[in-house]
Amino acid sequence: MNRIISDTINFGKQYMRSRIGMFFALVFPVLIILVFGAIFMGGGTSKITLHAQNLDEGSQGDAFLNALNSTTLFDIVEIPSNESIEQYINNNSLTVAIFIPKNFTFDIGEHLLFNEPGTVDIIIYGDPSKSTYGTVIGAAEAVAEGMNFRLIGKIPIINTVPININPGDDGETQFNYIDFYLPGIVGFTVMTNSLFAMTSTCAEYRQRNYYKLLATTNIKKWEWLVSKFIFYTLLLWLALVLTYFVGRAVFDMQAQLTPIAFVIIAVGAFTFTAMGMLVGIVVKDPEGASAIANAIGFPMMFLSGTFFPLEMMPDYLQIVAGVMPLTYLNNGLRDTMVYFNDGNALINLAIVFIIGIVFFILASKFMSWKEK
Amino acid sequence: MSETVVEVRDLSKYYPPDVKAVDGISFTIGAGQIFSMLGPNGAGKTTTVEILEGLRNPTSGEVMIFGQNILKDYSKLRKRVGILPQNFEPFDLLKPWEAIQYWTQLYDIRITKKEINRALERVGLFERRNIHSKKLSGGEKRKLGIALSLVNNPELLFLDEPTTGLDPKGRRDLWALINEIKEKGTTVFLTTHYLDEAERLADDVSIMHKGKIIAEGSPDNLVEKYGKATIVVLEGAGSSGLQKLKEKGIDAHLDDADERDVLVPVRKHSEMKSMMCTLASSDINMADIYTRRETLEDVFLNLVGSKMEDGVLKE
Ligand SMILES: Nc1ncnc2c1ncn2[C@@H]1O[C@H](COP(=O)(O)OP(=O)(O)OP(=O)(O)O)[C@@H](O)[C@H]1O
Ligand SMILES: [Mg+2]
Repeated sequence: MNRIISDTINFGKQYMRSRIGMFFALVFPVLIILVFGAIFMGGGTSKITLHAQNLDEGSQGDAFLNALNSTTLFDIVEIPSNESIEQYINNNSLTVAIFIPKNFTFDIGEHLLFNEPGTVDIIIYGDPSKSTYGTVIGAAEAVAEGMNFRLIGKIPIINTVPININPGDDGETQFNYIDFYLPGIVGFTVMTNSLFAMTSTCAEYRQRNYYKLLATTNIKKWEWLVSKFIFYTLLLWLALVLTYFVGRAVFDMQAQLTPIAFVIIAVGAFTFTAMGMLVGIVVKDPEGASAIANAIGFPMMFLSGTFFPLEMMPDYLQIVAGVMPLTYLNNGLRDTMVYFNDGNALINLAIVFIIGIVFFILASKFMSWKEK
Repeated sequence: MSETVVEVRDLSKYYPPDVKAVDGISFTIGAGQIFSMLGPNGAGKTTTVEILEGLRNPTSGEVMIFGQNILKDYSKLRKRVGILPQNFEPFDLLKPWEAIQYWTQLYDIRITKKEINRALERVGLFERRNIHSKKLSGGEKRKLGIALSLVNNPELLFLDEPTTGLDPKGRRDLWALINEIKEKGTTVFLTTHYLDEAERLADDVSIMHKGKIIAEGSPDNLVEKYGKATIVVLEGAGSSGLQKLKEKGIDAHLDDADERDVLVPVRKHSEMKSMMCTLASSDINMADIYTRRETLEDVFLNLVGSKMEDGVLKE
């Protein structure tokens, strides 16, 4: 156990200190999601269309909407006063809308006159899973605060009340390309790091005679394999979280970070680490290692639905994709993170795992630290 | 005689299709000695060492280390031996102290900071303990390699060409270190293709060529046994001097170090006096005349028929 921990730590240290390792693990996926996100999301920040129903009979409701308008964040569209706002939201599949009640100005006047404690509400309907919702809430709160200040100074009168219009999962989420893309990037990162890095590590260990050194210590081959797997799992979890939150912060991403996603990453790290070792057995030097890893990795990257949905590809390429472990890794991640279908995700997970076990058994059987 | 640490009998290793890398060699190493296996590239040194390290399987023959057959169970021996593989380069991105700590832990040994520092001091790397190993000089990298091979306090240490590729200072530093290791009682198996290295360090030398041991003994022994002659050096005599000697039927050759000196080997002691008279009375221009004892270098030349430079046999 101590040997595994020590080997994991010291292997990790070297990996983290190598700029290439860090780049491919943590910088590259974030860069890709930013670049592709920007390309496919059509670039530039456009205004959010904000539907508002103002039933107020006085002037404060208009003042509020004017102030909101002056933030330049929104195109405000009036909802006719004869419609029920909830009906309207449903009919038009809105994700966010603002409602100003009938006695808005009057109630404010009451509070000012009698100096009563209590508040007057502005209601914000919205789907909290959408980033536009957050923007609207933020802006509305800021405007309300400004008005409060002008009205009486310290005591808040106008209050924003959010109402969730997306209870549970049944309201269908609007997925973007970026949602489809994120699992692909994560899957791709799992592959590049474990497969490419492991192949070249094996070649380097052979060339520099580290295997011979290792063979004279107490560490066992399987312990060494396991410590690589542990390290890549931790690293790739970090990459997943990082990529996810950057995607989430910058784009209107709906994909979710699920526990199954973490399991899939761990299994993916296992499978591709084992695959890298298997490839590492046949290569003799680091140059050969990167050539072979590229020859295997790049077709897999393009044919496994990393960048395009598999359905877009001709039949014969879909058949090729069917034998690539990355396909199942990507599909599994997509199932759990985007479609919230853990059943399918587990099937894909099982396929990746079985492939991994086969690789692992072959790798530990044929990898030799000695020479014949 | 001291007790025997390594005993090799009739060891052979063939690689397919027909390479006889090691071809029926036998030797023994006494405790506390430095045993040097000397030979050119491809002689079979690494193959031999790695069989002894349990890293390659012999085709035939028997190897006993500490009285135990290595084919039976190497795991018990592993604790008692240390190895420095040929062309060793330490882990680029670990600092020397981290490498020592890591390696010690792989042997299931707990090590304190103090012990790490002591291990680094022993090989003269204490000052350099905190920089990434890839920034160490070639000699320092080898020293770190030796420090790593010593973490389990081995009784028998294998060093496969520890000084190859180092500058003269780096080599002298390592020689001093290897001597210190010997003084602590460790038995050292050293392969090299530097004749002066073997002559300086080794208690026992075996000269290996094409998979066979062609001579064995202490450096003095070897010179005595295989040295053909004492050499008379005609300093500055040059090729014209050589020409004149040839005309008189005297066997001589130019010293190929500078091609200025002419060397005349004298095979029998009894012939020395008359040879000196002949040479002194000849009309050869020379700056000086003196005699020199042969070295391992000459022994090697006599045995193999060619000189060796950096492991490569010369005409
Ligand atoms: N794994 C192998 N497969 C086939 N032939 C090998 C193998 N290892 C070594 N040889 C051959 O065996 C012979 C002895 O090689 P070895 O490495 O033992 O020599 P060496 O004395 O260590 O040489 P050097 O000074 O170059 O290190 C060489 O002819 C070499 O080509
Ligand atoms: Mg060698």
